[in-house]
Formats: sequence, structure tokens, C-alpha cells
Amino acid sequence: MSTLTTTNSNDNYLNHTKGILSWLCTVDHKRIGIMYLVCVLFAFFLGGVFAMLLRFQLLTPEGMFLTQDQYNQAFTMHGAIMVFLVIIPAVPAALGNFVLPIMLGAKDVAFPKLNLFSWYLWIAGLVFFLLALATGGLDTGWTFYTPYSIDKASSMGGVIPALIGAFILGFSSIFTGMNFIVTIHRLRPKGMTWFRMPLFLWATYATAIIQVLATPVVGITLLLLIVERSMGIGIFDPAMGGDPVLYQHFFWFYSHPAVYIMILPAMGIISELISVHSHRHIFGYKFIAYSSIAIAMFGFIVWGHHMFTSGQSQLMNIIFSLVTFSVSIPSAVKVFNWLATLYKGSISLNTPMIYGLSFIFIFAIGGLTGLHLATLATDIHLHDSYFVVAHFHYVMMGSALIGFLGGIHHWWPKMTGKMYHEGWGRVAAILVFIGFNVTFFSQFMMGSKGMPRRYATYAEMPEFQVYHIWSTAGSVILAIGFVICAIYLLQSCFAGKKAPANPWGGRSLEWQCSSPPPWDNFAEQPEVGDCYDYSVLEWNEEEQGYVWKKDVLHPGEANG
Amino acid sequence: MSNTDHSHHGDGVGHAVPIKFLVLICSILLFLTAVTVWVSWFDFTEINIAEMGIIMALFVATIKATIVGLYFMHLRWDRPFIGFIFVGSILFVVLFISLALTDTLEYQPEIIPGNTPKVQEALDALKN
Amino acid sequence: MFSIISSLLATPQGNPENFWLPKQASTVAQSVDFTFNLITWICYFFFALIVIAMLVFMIKYRRKSNDHEIVVTGPTHNTALEVTWTVLPLLLVIVIFIVGMRGYLNLREAPADCYEVQVTGQKWSWTFSHPKFGAIEVGELTVPVGKPVRLLMTSNDVLHSLWIPDFRVKMDVIPGRYTSLWFEALEVGEYLLNCSEYCGTDHSKMFAMVRVIPQEDFDKTLTKLASEYEDMSLGELPAYAINRLYNRCKSCHSLDGSIGTGPSFKGLWDRVSRGDTLFTSGEELSSLLGDATFYGEPENYIRESILNPQAHIVQGYLGSMPSFQGQLKEKQITAFIEMFKNLNEITTAEGEISVNPDGTPRQ
Repeated sequence: MSTLTTTNSNDNYLNHTKGILSWLCTVDHKRIGIMYLVCVLFAFFLGGVFAMLLRFQLLTPEGMFLTQDQYNQAFTMHGAIMVFLVIIPAVPAALGNFVLPIMLGAKDVAFPKLNLFSWYLWIAGLVFFLLALATGGLDTGWTFYTPYSIDKASSMGGVIPALIGAFILGFSSIFTGMNFIVTIHRLRPKGMTWFRMPLFLWATYATAIIQVLATPVVGITLLLLIVERSMGIGIFDPAMGGDPVLYQHFFWFYSHPAVYIMILPAMGIISELISVHSHRHIFGYKFIAYSSIAIAMFGFIVWGHHMFTSGQSQLMNIIFSLVTFSVSIPSAVKVFNWLATLYKGSISLNTPMIYGLSFIFIFAIGGLTGLHLATLATDIHLHDSYFVVAHFHYVMMGSALIGFLGGIHHWWPKMTGKMYHEGWGRVAAILVFIGFNVTFFSQFMMGSKGMPRRYATYAEMPEFQVYHIWSTAGSVILAIGFVICAIYLLQSCFAGKKAPANPWGGRSLEWQCSSPPPWDNFAEQPEVGDCYDYSVLEWNEEEQGYVWKKDVLHPGEANG
Repeated sequence: MSNTDHSHHGDGVGHAVPIKFLVLICSILLFLTAVTVWVSWFDFTEINIAEMGIIMALFVATIKATIVGLYFMHLRWDRPFIGFIFVGSILFVVLFISLALTDTLEYQPEIIPGNTPKVQEALDALKN
Repeated sequence: MFSIISSLLATPQGNPENFWLPKQASTVAQSVDFTFNLITWICYFFFALIVIAMLVFMIKYRRKSNDHEIVVTGPTHNTALEVTWTVLPLLLVIVIFIVGMRGYLNLREAPADCYEVQVTGQKWSWTFSHPKFGAIEVGELTVPVGKPVRLLMTSNDVLHSLWIPDFRVKMDVIPGRYTSLWFEALEVGEYLLNCSEYCGTDHSKMFAMVRVIPQEDFDKTLTKLASEYEDMSLGELPAYAINRLYNRCKSCHSLDGSIGTGPSFKGLWDRVSRGDTLFTSGEELSSLLGDATFYGEPENYIRESILNPQAHIVQGYLGSMPSFQGQLKEKQITAFIEMFKNLNEITTAEGEISVNPDGTPRQ
């Protein structure tokens, strides 16, 4: 038997029931994952359109075609959509939802209806953001700093709908996190002790802890902001004795852990990608697992490093700077462990692996430039400049998003039952890598040289034009890469080769069921062994995929 | 699969709190809210502790939060570990409040002294 | 040893060719740049390590195509190695932290004998007040070279941030609160100052120029600035106003007729003296001018628009003009009025200023 499920029919979760209602009212984690995937990619496209508007505007110092106000709205919507609608939900909700229960050999998550509700909350959040655009626009920046965001005469009218949207999205995130924590605690199969879990699950677990602990804080913050703006309670408004720096404390107490919500799952994917596509047991499993938890914990005590020039006191600046360095160590450990995993591996340079290697390259730069920003003396100069913009794009986009793309390609055969065109996959991955670096590396240079961020025009600083031109050129390459990716992925849905259960030779449980998985994943929850031990697999030419070696028993199977 | 100890039902639903009991708890909480509002009308400067109003309010709030946690959140009947998790989350609140408050205290000298016109207007209106 | 390393890492003073940083124009810039370069070289080292390892492994252990056999080799963990590459980076970052902290304390603690300037940020201009001389500059900050200068700052409305890249100093300005920064300029020259905290529509235009002048000239220049307009006759005021005062209006009111956040000054006096302006309340200015009316003279309307701009907002605009109450002396308001009356003589048709502050034509 090549898989642990019986595949005597073409029945799978995609065609098990038909009709739009069977999707909209589904509680099947796989369908919910696919719905999230489609929605997140749509939101990514929307955020990307805003990004292209920004980049083209900045081609000349006087600005190409946007007014100041239009630009301000564009960068606000770009940030808000990308942060709240794309990157935070992307890996956990779109890929995590699909993969997590199958990796556990379970039939579904612990609370399937809550899962569907989380998706509807995401949709509601999207609706409110669109409403914000329609009811006056939004130009406060995704950070909503006070007093600008509470002054009705200054900022535009779409602030409150946007705040409500973000509040709702927070709950989508919290419920997903809760669901995953309970699922991982309660639904692990026999043999899967904590230290036998695939690292993607460790990453998802750490992420879920952050989601549950930190997101309520931004919920309260947004509520306070709504009440402040509509009723003038005076908590953040200095004209009424309030404190604008307090708002920043509130905001960043969530938003810093939020960036770890974005990166941790992507790192989990990279652990899987590197290991599977080089057929090498992951190096230093325990250190990687612990580092995920360490990043989650340390991430809660460093939020002040976003506020070094905000009027935060000297004492707190020093404390936050010191502690911020602590977060860099677990991340560095992971990078070294991944490199050691490549050592003596059998590295297949296919599309998922290219994304995995791109991640390491780009995350190295992103993480290392974090050192400049954690250091007090240099951050004074670099804060609110393009250096910061480059840094966070390197870690959020170049790392988290590329991890997401790598995961999509890695699990695409499992999710759709089809193989995408490998040649075009590599082309797109390389274009994304090149385009990304061209777009954002030049931003480091202009940032440290003095270009501030959130500028629609830079007429007094025309010397930065050449950097902006490079950056825009890179963004075009990046866009082409994404478009190619979208095309071949869509094409594979209709005309791709049929995927075997285990095209890459992975050992974790999702590769033991058919591609696409059946409606109920596994007939019975299987027992597991070491999910990074690939010695039990061999290539099956007929299936064009890997299968369990005939003479090797599955864990838990008795002899004879 | 582990269960809570007090499950009298064989169907694995878990301990169900009787509705009457929950209504009783709710009434107690409402009563305590009324107490808080009643206390807020007193002027405590007579006993030389002006902050007594806040101290009373926080004291009552702590009692209410404990009641909510023990009964509405079911912690009274859960494993102690769950209670530790709840207390642990309070640690995060303490973390945030302590660091943010420390910061605020540190930069107090930089605040421009006096009230802004809006605040002064409101204060004057109160006095009259 | 340390001085050898520091000389390797320090950017040559004033060298504009540095890959990452602008010229060093202040005393603190050198120590900030040293820290920056130290971190950057550490980054180069680790990045090279990571990328070379990656490339070497990618090539050496590449899977040959069509080779699907799984051969399981290689270590799965090595505690000594993992502990080493945890502890060594930790020590390194502590060093970086200490270097950074010392540079930071230097940036924050101003020397005892600073020359003090009071700064007010508001949407969307910077106002610099020299209390020692009683002079006010808008959009321009004149400071002496080689002497420490301290800026004591606040905001009138929302958060802004004062950044002088060439000096490596930056600090947010917050309404209701004072913040400060200090610097000592190394060379005479002009340096850009910009706003680096998003503050709304014209955030990208909220610039000022820092003019560093020799110490001998400083007292003279500022004394002149303080009382420049006091002895001027009415005829001299337009040239003074357009050069010295218009800066604070520049980000919203154009001189060439183009509509900005506020109406253009071009042709303003003609419109106002005819009463040709419609307000958002529905009233026409003409109904407020003339005998026994609200304003009487058009000059009074101009005065009110500067001191209490929310009283009547021109139709088609959002009413975002802040009040300049307390920021302008009476004679300066008169200067504005004279400026409007004579705008055609002191600007070109394209909106360029055509006179110097002393009234001589500008080349």
C-alpha cells in the first residue's frame, strides 16, 4: 500500500460535494484553507497595485502623477492591506489551515466551525477596508499615529471604518490561533510527542501563542482610537491632556509581536522545504524548535525599538535596545541550522528550494540590517528613513512572503492534485529574487543617505532620483515574476499533470495521503516516527513520486 | 483522551454549570457594579486620601474579575494548570503597563506644564 | 589597536563618496558613522559566510537530475557547534549594543554651554526662534559654526520629527511636550533639515535649510534679523515680507496661481478688495466689507485670516490653516498686507520672487 488512505476512487475534498454553498458553508479545513488562499492572494494583488502606484510616483523628484493626498492614501492602503489582510493571515490561515490537521493525521482542526467563522471575519475586515476607501479615504499610515489620526480636520473620513476593519481582522487572527493551539495540544497522533512534531507545527504553535496573547492589545488600542476620534475621551490627544506616545506604546506592543506572527510560520515552512528538497534530516531539531518559542517570547519585550526617536525616555531606550539584540540570536541559530541541513544533502534546485534558498539569502540581509536599527546611535539617524522601509520589506516581503510562496509551491501538488510547470516555476522564482533585491537594496542606500519615508515628492533632494529609478525598475521585474507565477499556477489547475501522493519525498503525514486528500484526510489516525527520516522512502517510476519502501514497516505496524 | 474530573455525563460534554448559578453570579456582578458607582459619588478628601475613590474602584474590580475568572471562565472546576495560564496572561498585562508607565514617568519633566485651553475650560465648568 | 580599527572604520571627514552615508557635518556624525561602519562590516562578514556556505553546498551537493535515490547521510545535530554559534553571536551583539549605547548617550547629553534655539513644528513648516536675539526664522535655521547648539522643540498640532541627515541628529516633536536635540556643526555651509514623522498632506514638503555661518558673523546677522522690519517704511515691507515671512506660508499658498492646500496669493488682493470671495458658510466677502460691516476694510479681513483663519473659510478649501496668533508682531502683519497689495511688483508672472529683502532686484 503506497499511502495510508485508500484511493480507489477519484473522490477528494475538491469534488466531494459540489456547488458554491458547499464551499461557503463548509467546515472542512482544506476548503477553508483554499478560500483563504484565494482571498489572501487577491488582497496581495490589491496591495501590490497600490505599491506600483507608489513606485511610479517616485520616479521623479516632483512626483509623476499623484497629488500629495493621493500618495498618502496609497501608502496607507498599501501598508494596511499588506499587513492586516495579507501577511498576518497568509501562512497560518491559508497554508496552516490546509496542512496542519493533515500533518497531525487528524480529520480536522479542533473547532471547525470557528475556523469558518474566522474566514468570514476576514471577509468582513476586507469589506470595512474597502468601505474606508469609499467613505472619505484613509491617509494616516497603517500605524494610525495620534494626534493625526484623531484629528477630524487633518485626516480623512475613512479612519473609523478602517479601524473597525482592523479590529475585526484581529479576531480572525485570535480565533485561528486558538484553534491551532488546541489542535496541536489535543489532536496529535500516537508517536508524535512534542519533539517528534514537524518543525512547521512548532512554528505554527509559537505563532498561535503570539496571536492569542498580543492581538487583543491592538483590539483595545483600535477601540480606544475609535472612541477617542468619535467621542473625544482624551486619552491620546494632548489638547485634552492625553499622551500621543502612550498610543505608540499600545500600538507597538501588538505590532512588534505581529511581525513574528508574520515570520515564524514562514520560517517553519523553510525548515520543511530545506529538509525535504535536500533529503536531509533537519540539523539541530531541538534548537530550531526552542528558537521558535524563544522568538515568540522575546518578541513581547522589544516593542520600544520602534520608538527610539519618539520621545521615549532614555532609560527605556537603553532597555529596549539591549533586549532587542536577544531576538536576533534565535533567528541566527535557525539560519545556521538550515545551512547545516544543506551540508551533505542531495539538493534539488526545484522551485520550492529556490524559494527556500532565496529566503536564506534575503533573510540574512534583513536580519543583519536589523542590527543597525537595534543599535541606538545608528537608529537615531536611520529611523523613519528608507533604510527602515528596506529592512522591513526584506524581512516581511522577501522572507515571510517568499516563504509563503515556497510553501504554496511545496504543497501545491497536495492541495490541487496537479503539478505546475517546473521550468516556468524556476523562471518566476528567479525573477522574484532578482526583482526583489533590485527594488529594495537601493532603498537601504538612500535611506542611510537621508531619504525620509512616506514622502510623495522629494524635490529638495533630487540626488535620490537614481535610487528611486532602480527601485521602480526592480518592482517591475518583481511584478513580472508574480504574474508569471499566477499564470502557470492557474494553468496547472486546468491542465497540469496529475500529482502523485508524494512528489518530493517528504516524510511528514501530509505526504502519506493522496493528492488531493480525500474528504476526511485519513481513515484512521496513523502512528508516526521521525518525520525527517527519509530512508524509508523510495522513488516509484510509475507514479512519478515517492512511496514507502515495501520492506519497511510503518510506525506502529506489527510484524507479520 | 483526558477529561475534566467533574464530568457527570458520559457523553464527554464536560461540566455544565447550572443556569440558575450563572444568573446568581451575574446578579452579584451587577450589584458590585452598583457599589462602584455609589462609591464614586463620595468625596474622599475629608479623610485625607483623595485617591480612595480609585483604590475602592480597583478593589471592587479585582473582586469582580476574580468572580468572572472563577465562575464564568470555569477556572474553579478546571485543572490548576489552566489557572496558571490565566495568571500568566496577567503577567503580560503587568509587563506592558509597567514598561509603558515607567516611560511615562521618566518623561514627565518634559511635559509642558499647565492645562490646555480645552481642559481648563472643562475644569472651570466643573467648578461652577 | 582600537585606534587602528577605528581609523579603518571611520568615514573620512566630509567625504561625500561614502557608499552608505552622507557627509559628516557635525561632531557626533563621526562617532555615529563609526558605529554604523562597525555594524556594516560585521554584517558583510556574516553575510559572506552564509552566502558562500550556501553556494558551496548548492553546487557541491546538487542532486543530479533524474537521481531519485535517497541516501541518508550527514549529521543531525552537534551540540558543541550549536552552542558555539549561539554564544559567539550573543557576545558580538552585546559589544554592538555597548558601542551604540555610548554613541547614543553622547547624542542625548548636550554640553553645558549650548546656544539655544526654540523650534516649533506645525503643519507644514518649521519655525525657529532665537530668544537671545528676539529673532524668528521660518524655514531657515541660522547657527554658528563650531559651537554646540541645542534645539528645544515642540509641535503646535500633530507629531513631526526634526531630522538633519548630515548632522545625524533626529528627534520627534510632540504637541504638549518639549523634546530636544543638540549638535555642533563642523563647517560653514547649508544643510537640509526635513520632517521625518508623517504629518499629513504636505509632509514631503516640510523642509528647512540649516545655514551654518562663522561665529564672528553670527551675532550681527541675528540682531539684524530680529529688527529688520522695525525701522522699515511701508514701501520697504513687501520685499521684506516676501523674503522673510512668506516661507511659513509657502507649503500651502503658491505665488503662481496654482491651487494648493490654500488659495494662491497671486491676484489675492484684487479679489479681496472687490469682496470677490465666497465662504463655506455661504456668505460673500463683499457683504462683510464696507461701512458698518463685520470687517469694514479688506485689510481687516486679511488680518483676521492670519490670526483666526477658522472664522471664514474660503469655499473649496478644507480649512486646515493654523492660527499665527502670537507668532507675528503687528508690524509683520502689516508687512503681509503690503506684500499682497504689491505682489505684482515683487514677483514675476511665473511666481518667482524678484526682489531681495532690502528691495534691490534679484538676478
